[in-house]
Amino acid sequence: MDRMHDQGDKLDALFAEYRMACPDPEPSADFMPSMWKRIEARRIATVSVFRHWAQVCVMATLALTVLIGGVLIPRFQADPAANASYVEALMFEHSSDYIQMLTGGVR
Amino acid sequence: MLVEFELIERARSGDDSAFNQIVQAYRKRILGTISRTIGRPEDVEDVGQEVFLRLYYSLDQLRTPEVFEPWLYRLTVNAAYDYLRRQRRRQESRMSDLSEQQVMLADAAAGSKRRDEEQRRTKIRELAQSLLGQVSEEDRILLTLKEVEGLSLKELEKIYRVNENALKVRLFRARQRVLKAFGARENREAVSKAGLGSVDDSE
Repeated sequence: MDRMHDQGDKLDALFAEYRMACPDPEPSADFMPSMWKRIEARRIATVSVFRHWAQVCVMATLALTVLIGGVLIPRFQADPAANASYVEALMFEHSSDYIQMLTGGVR
Repeated sequence: MLVEFELIERARSGDDSAFNQIVQAYRKRILGTISRTIGRPEDVEDVGQEVFLRLYYSLDQLRTPEVFEPWLYRLTVNAAYDYLRRQRRRQESRMSDLSEQQVMLADAAAGSKRRDEEQRRTKIRELAQSLLGQVSEEDRILLTLKEVEGLSLKELEKIYRVNENALKVRLFRARQRVLKAFGARENREAVSKAGLGSVDDSE
């Protein structure tokens, strides 16, 4: 037990000596300029990430516009039901009922 | 506190000259802590710059200027921890590098007395760093802050945002491991001295 205590004291002394053997170093003359360069580099990197995402969003919007304008709208317009008036649409929908009625299928 | 609260407030609101003054006030102290924590003099400035870079981009998250110092220490702890983890991944022989560098420094020193003193310091640094290397990176930093930097448990509680008892347990376990390694080293030295003694006797 005493030995452990003794070693504990020695370890404390070693840590104290270690503190003295490693004094606070003087920063070099380049410390501040390098730090500001790194801050600027990070700022530019952040901005370029935002710019990149903005470009991706613009490209995606353009692609979607082309898809809607070039493919989806013409396909929608080609559908006869889409160009028909309300009455014509109703007629298309119920044309078979009407024929059945005329031929006496419905009493 | 090494700076006025008002200066921190100005830096928080984006005043770069205020931030510059804060860095100038704290850099030496922070570099000292990093130096004793990571044990590689050539990388101290790099890690120090990383600390202040993180400070610059996280200053707006600081709730009040009163907690500035624990906040700065937390950033220091995190940067030192990241560095030590990277070093472990690189599998570099930290101690041998340091030893060579310190020996070169010692060789460059003029006068044998000065060289002896530098060699003694080198031995202390090597021994302390090899003992601290016996525990995990997290515990190494914690132990350095407590035992070498002399921070109190209250201060560590603020830095780590962990309650005092949990810190005491971690510190106790880490210290026990270091103590065990220290004891083993002393035993080996005693045995080798005794061995050398017997050789001398036989001659």
